[in-house]
Amino acid sequence: MKQVTTLLILFITLTGFSQTAYEKGMNKAFATWGEGNSVEASNLFERISKAEKDNWIPLYYVAQVNILHSFGEKDKTQLQLKLDKAKEALEKAKELSPDNAELLVLEALHNTAWIAFDGATYGMTLGGPTTEIYNKAVALAPDNPRVVYCFAEWNMGMASYFGKDTTPYCNDMKKAIELFSTFKNETLFYPSWGLDRAEQLYKNCNQ
Amino acid sequence: MRTVITLSILLITLIVGTLNAQTTINGTVTDHKNIPIPGANVYLEGTYDGATSTNDGTFSFTTTETGVQKLVISFMAFETFEISKEVTEMKDLKIVLKEEINTLTGVTLTAGTFEAGDNAKVTALKPLDIVTTAGAVGDVVGALQTLPGTTTVSEDGRLFVRGGEAEETQIFIDGIRVFTPYNVAPNNSPTRGRYSPFLFNGTTFSTGGYSAEYGEALSSVLLLSTINEPDQEKTDLSIMSIGGGIGNTQIFGKNSISVNASYMNLQPYLELFPDRNEWEKPYVGASGEAVYRHKFDDGLLKFYTAFEYTNFVVKQRNINYDDRVRYDLTNRNLYNNLSYKGALKNDWILSAGASLSFTKNDFNIITDEIDQNDVSYHVKASLKKKFSKHVRLNTGAEFFSTSYTQDFKDVSNFTFTNKVQRELPAVYTETDIYFTNNLALKTGLRGSYDSGSDEVLISPRTSLAYKSGKNSQVSLAYGDFYQTAATNYVQYAQTLKPQRAQHYIANYQYTNNGQIFRAEAYYKDYADLIKYNTLRPEYNSVYNNNGKGYASGLDIFWRDEKSFKNVDYWVSYSYLDTKRDFRNYEAEVMPNFAAKHNLSVVGKYWNGDLKSQFGITYSFTSGRPYDNPNTDSFMAEKTKSYHNVGLNWAYLIDQQKILFVSVTNPLGIKNVSGYQYADTPNMNGVYDRMTVRPNADSFIFVGFFWTFSDDKKSNQLDNL
Repeated sequence: MKQVTTLLILFITLTGFSQTAYEKGMNKAFATWGEGNSVEASNLFERISKAEKDNWIPLYYVAQVNILHSFGEKDKTQLQLKLDKAKEALEKAKELSPDNAELLVLEALHNTAWIAFDGATYGMTLGGPTTEIYNKAVALAPDNPRVVYCFAEWNMGMASYFGKDTTPYCNDMKKAIELFSTFKNETLFYPSWGLDRAEQLYKNCNQ
Repeated sequence: MRTVITLSILLITLIVGTLNAQTTINGTVTDHKNIPIPGANVYLEGTYDGATSTNDGTFSFTTTETGVQKLVISFMAFETFEISKEVTEMKDLKIVLKEEINTLTGVTLTAGTFEAGDNAKVTALKPLDIVTTAGAVGDVVGALQTLPGTTTVSEDGRLFVRGGEAEETQIFIDGIRVFTPYNVAPNNSPTRGRYSPFLFNGTTFSTGGYSAEYGEALSSVLLLSTINEPDQEKTDLSIMSIGGGIGNTQIFGKNSISVNASYMNLQPYLELFPDRNEWEKPYVGASGEAVYRHKFDDGLLKFYTAFEYTNFVVKQRNINYDDRVRYDLTNRNLYNNLSYKGALKNDWILSAGASLSFTKNDFNIITDEIDQNDVSYHVKASLKKKFSKHVRLNTGAEFFSTSYTQDFKDVSNFTFTNKVQRELPAVYTETDIYFTNNLALKTGLRGSYDSGSDEVLISPRTSLAYKSGKNSQVSLAYGDFYQTAATNYVQYAQTLKPQRAQHYIANYQYTNNGQIFRAEAYYKDYADLIKYNTLRPEYNSVYNNNGKGYASGLDIFWRDEKSFKNVDYWVSYSYLDTKRDFRNYEAEVMPNFAAKHNLSVVGKYWNGDLKSQFGITYSFTSGRPYDNPNTDSFMAEKTKSYHNVGLNWAYLIDQQKILFVSVTNPLGIKNVSGYQYADTPNMNGVYDRMTVRPNADSFIFVGFFWTFSDDKKSNQLDNL
């Protein structure tokens, strides 16, 4: 009997072992990203997404890596390649997980990257839609800290562009910081970023 | 127990076996020129095993998979490559990736075309430029006149492209023809485009060599596309020195509706700044527009309708009369445009639409009464399909119809009625072939039937583009274009043939982040132009199609938004050499709407501290020809050259309130549009003349625009 138990444990461990290929892959991708190798990280997330066909999480990170690394890109061709790749991943992720506020936040950031590149062209055409995306995200997940913080940052950006007071959005930022400590999602590798930047932005509020 | 052991052994074998069976997969990734591609994603499909190619294009990774597997190599802007074989044979692989046909970095068919919009790869004009170009004051047509290939005809205001008359440019909304694109205006006052720019999010302006999809235009087409989906519900309010307007957008589920109403009255303005006219009733205009959109699962339906009413009574000087000539004009125009675009089975895309336009003009000129009624419609359906990344097809059919009646009545009750009824069916088909990312061909054929002259017309169109370098490309285009003779001739001579033009275009384009340079040389051959033998086209004139002519020239465009911070500027220069023998001309000469040199310089400066955008536009047009009947030579004299400066200031009071001030010709330069000569000589045998000047030298516009919306963020910068 003991042996059977051992075997059972072994078997379970084995099964667990095969599951952790996902964990191992994701952890490796995050580590690679942490080392600053965004191309490799994007490729790893993409490979994982091809193996985990029903999981939106790897696609989320394909999009996030490419969006974050497109900020500051000066070459329009390179920018469009990255942002199109992000958009493609986002569209696939949205099919797997519709009405997902996390994906809406990335979609809004995707637009923001275009606006950051050329405000005169994209500000007017993407500004309104971006606000609408945030409105939709807030309606879906009013307690998601990333939704609250990114919307607040977007509002601050708009206000400062028009030379208006940004402090009304500081309360939102404060609320977001509180939400970071209460927000729970048990999904493995569920997005958890944003607290540092939210705190930084909130600090700027009080200066 | 035995079972357990067997199982254990099996498991151990499995684990050990897995550990032992590591295979290394390696190779290199290059493009077709053998240049290494770093960053390519190389992996076994459905597994976690893979690698990213390094700077020298090499990759290497190990896998525990066995047997035949699929290796995938993907990289942005290249076609994904797949290879299936035994993993043990995946050694020293030489992978050559093929460049993806890419609308982004690849060659584009650009000869003759300027695009404005976020989808266009090369944007000569941005959507906002239409509203922030000084001197344009929110007029789409006014902004396009700062592009090369156009000639400024200050007293007219319409688009004159490459030596063509204004009628040679046709305007389409969502692919469907607009029949009366311009507002009515008194003589010597520039007209404006009828449609407000904020309804559109894309503009394509082609100055020649355009697609077989568009016909009935000898020189140029302007394609406007309406917004597919409004972003939000809002209310816009505008208070202007010349009137006011209100707009509202509502979104409900898959439907949205935008309505817009505006009223213009020039009386207060004219009292402050009188012009050269004597106004009995100053210009009054009232208009309403509505757009309804419905989203289907895989299609979009749009219905656009616009009504406009204009009235004015003006007395203008005329050399042939001692007293001022009284013009009383009432114009009513109703335009409807219905369009549907949606996906069908097998990747076919269907676009179908129809426009129906009613125009009624009531003129009273001195004692003559002229009533014009025009009912025109256009129905069109097209099918598009992308067969592969290399081949695209666009084919369609359309039908134009015009019914026109003019009733004339003079003081002695003499009446005269002219009627025109014309139908014009047409079919077209066109293929885009992308041989590689560097070479593309568009070739098409258009066939149409002209009911008046009973002629079948075939027009081939073709253009070829070659990407000559990373940032440059050259293009060539050729096309045959036909256009039915204008109604004011056809009403007296129903069987006139369509006029014809042939375009030959060579284009060079250089684009680099924030900089665009374009040079385009063209030759245009005109044939079958309309001629008549009287002073003005009349019912008893003799008409024929014996006119001809040519236009050739060079258009240069330079835009730079990179070199100076917060400054964006562009320069357009057009050289035009043209002659034609048409209308009642005695010889082939340069027509009065053509100018040899045309220059526009547009600059914009954004100052964040002042929350203001400042704009300046300078335009120059060399003298235009006119005929002096006191000399023997025909159309041999030229007016002095035309200069104009436009200034504007847009001040963002806050995110939803904008103050806009615009001044044209602040220096008060006295421009000359031309000279009007008496129809008959005076007692000394000399034809007297009168200098024709713009009705007003300068124009000042002040507007305040306020938007109310849920998010309190949008403003009407788009509407200006």
